[in-house]
Amino acid sequence: MVSSLIALMGLSLFLGCGCWLFFLWAVQRGEFHDMERPKHRMLEEDERETPKK
Amino acid sequence: MTTPHFPCFHCGAEIPAGVLVEERAGGATLNFCCHGCHGAYLVISGAGLDDFYRRREWRETGLSPKAFQGKYQDSYLARFVYTAGAGSAIDIIIDGIRCASCVWLNEKIIGRIAGVLEARVNYATGRARVIFDGSRTSPAQIFSRIDELGYLPRPYTRNAAKEVALKEQKDLLFRFGTAVFLSMQLMAYAFALYAGFFQGIDQQMKNYLQLFSLLVTTPVVFYCGWPFLRGAWRGIVNGSPNMELLVATGALSSYGYSVYATFAGGEVYFETAAMIVTLILVGRLLENAAKRRASGGIERLMELCSGEAQRFKGEELEPVDPSLLRRGDLILVAPGERFPVDGAIAEGATDVDESAATGEPLPLFKKVGDQVIAGSCNLTGAVRVRCEREAEESFIARVARLVEQAQSRRAPIQRLADRVSAYFVPAVFTLAIATFCWHYSRGGEFGLSLMTSLAVVVIACPCALGLATPTAILAGTGAAASAGVIFKGGDILERLSRVTVAVFDKTGTLTCGAPMLVDVQPAYGFSRREVLSWAAAVERGSLHPIAKAVRDYAQANGIAYPVGEELVTLAGGGVTGRVAGEAVAVGSVCFLRRTGAGGVPDRVESPEGGIVVGVAHRGRYCGCLVLKDRIREDAPGLVSYFKREGIGTLLFSGDRQECSEKAAAAAGMDRAWGELSPAEKAAKVERLREDGSTVLMVGDGINDAPALSAADVGCAVAGGTDIAMETSDLVLAKPDLERLAQAHRMARRTMAVVRQNLAWAFLYNVVGVPLAMTGRLTPVYAAAAMALSSICVVGNSLRLMRRRNG
Repeated sequence: MVSSLIALMGLSLFLGCGCWLFFLWAVQRGEFHDMERPKHRMLEEDERETPKK
Repeated sequence: MTTPHFPCFHCGAEIPAGVLVEERAGGATLNFCCHGCHGAYLVISGAGLDDFYRRREWRETGLSPKAFQGKYQDSYLARFVYTAGAGSAIDIIIDGIRCASCVWLNEKIIGRIAGVLEARVNYATGRARVIFDGSRTSPAQIFSRIDELGYLPRPYTRNAAKEVALKEQKDLLFRFGTAVFLSMQLMAYAFALYAGFFQGIDQQMKNYLQLFSLLVTTPVVFYCGWPFLRGAWRGIVNGSPNMELLVATGALSSYGYSVYATFAGGEVYFETAAMIVTLILVGRLLENAAKRRASGGIERLMELCSGEAQRFKGEELEPVDPSLLRRGDLILVAPGERFPVDGAIAEGATDVDESAATGEPLPLFKKVGDQVIAGSCNLTGAVRVRCEREAEESFIARVARLVEQAQSRRAPIQRLADRVSAYFVPAVFTLAIATFCWHYSRGGEFGLSLMTSLAVVVIACPCALGLATPTAILAGTGAAASAGVIFKGGDILERLSRVTVAVFDKTGTLTCGAPMLVDVQPAYGFSRREVLSWAAAVERGSLHPIAKAVRDYAQANGIAYPVGEELVTLAGGGVTGRVAGEAVAVGSVCFLRRTGAGGVPDRVESPEGGIVVGVAHRGRYCGCLVLKDRIREDAPGLVSYFKREGIGTLLFSGDRQECSEKAAAAAGMDRAWGELSPAEKAAKVERLREDGSTVLMVGDGINDAPALSAADVGCAVAGGTDIAMETSDLVLAKPDLERLAQAHRMARRTMAVVRQNLAWAFLYNVVGVPLAMTGRLTPVYAAAAMALSSICVVGNSLRLMRRRNG
């Protein structure tokens, strides 16, 4: 019981670390430099664009 | 009027007669003002991006497209390229980005160049990062593609100061992100421990959970919280207890106690320590964001004129960094480039777009000897410019410093908050220790007593108090700056909100400063129309304010005038030329006599304050034009606004008493004084202040400078002299008096927000501290409540940025 819980906690910590590293990577890549653009991006639709094959 | 009243489909400018370009598309006819715009339309439409025309929103005309073509060479651009992953990358500043659709268009168009792997345009900075395959495309191709759209690409050069700021921001994000992720883990353990506390828990399990908690909390306190720990240490060393000391004490004491409890047995409170650090990091992030928003615009402008300059070395050109330009250097500025420094045109003539620096929307014509401002854009012709100031002394650099000063200068009310916290911190510690002693002596458990006293420390943490004033001032000055009003300090906002008397200068401030044609007096046998059209024809090429007034009047009255030829401007006198082959002279009466014109009257009746300009046709005097300085259109509106607000309005002028009184009456002002010297103006302002008034002085010239600095708030109108701007506390970036009313409203609203913030923060402490002392609040609730209060304060301040014109 205890050991399985420990394992689960370790797993959650491991997954959390994954998220954390992902975040650090994103910051390093400059993903948070521009907070304005993304909110406009989602409103854009390419109505006229024919899908590329 | 011969000009057709329809705009160019692409650029929106009115189409001049005779240059219409048509295109038939989908049954409709589209009109363009030039082949350049037509070409740009074809590029956009050809790429299937017609949507651009539906989503864009602009009213300005930009550079003519293709102004820059052939300028982008791979050999030059190659040194800005660096490798990024699989491809090469280049950072490009795109000049001309104004709205989200510009960003959209650039991303799409660049992204569709064969060989471009990724194109991202940053909306806030107007910078693009393009990653491309070097074997399939080249930087030059990307640059000319952007240029074809009518935007202006420039390679981005990094600069050390900006890199540092960027690194700091990144560092803060790292710390914040780490704190959030670890705290999330921690919360899971904390919940298990809470549940265990109520329902019972296996001792071994509890130990493990506590150890895990210790493991994740340690980096939060010592890595994420490092900035506070350092600040607190500085506070102790300097003997000035600060807010960081409170924060650090809160975090460290709960951490230290929990470590002890982990090994000695007992309940742990790691989450308190982690939460304090995390929430305060949130506050820091918000504060930084507000700061960046306030100074973003000016920074961009600095960036735009920081490219490479072309300096003459003999007759050769050499590229140099603008910071190395010295007074007297001669540089070449091509059309489409921005002037890197303040200077005067030494050779050539061009149209200049100064909108970035002065807000003036129309391009200005500049010829030899005219001043150009760093950061303004050269539109039409290549000119040689003689540098007059070094780059760090340029207008833009000085304005940037003003903004910086404004942000660092503290309002008195802000200093008050700092002084209060100097008493506050020791008081809070005394209360916390008293709380601990009281609970412990009443037989309370040691840990619980300690926690209760910690809650007192945490809840008293005057974060909201500390944030109350700076955030409001920052938001207020930021919003004002984007509306064209530059406050040189937070204290100015406060003083402006308390102004009781507004004093105006006359010429150039209350009046336009440029004469307007008010009357045409033809001599016997001539018509008004004739006289005016002759005068306008020879004044056509002149930049003199009188010439402009004559042309404006002719245009406003729909009087068509022919093109004058052989125009000669004689300094200090007037203009001569030929209209339809006949000699015409326009100028002062003395000047006309000197040209040998007959029939010139000895003296022309001039209404008071007016300028009289005579016109001679074929050597005969044929009439005169009367020009007068006029009250600004927005002046009466401003005066009546001040009246409604209960602020007295006075006029101080160097002009004759009679003229001053007339001008004051026209604007609806209370009183006027004329014939005042600069020193007398200042003395009068001093006297008003001694009588207990808070004085706002509005002026534009060197003669107002002493009065501007004597007043509680000195306001300089842009377009005035540098000296006026430097001695004033607030600058209207555009000679538009409406903005002053806006600035006043802004100041009042900002001070109202500051008072709300302070009231909230104090109320929160008054309610919170006793609750914490009685042990009703555990530290984690205190921390959450504290964050809530900070968010309320910051959110309240940010309201100022939203309602711009309210």
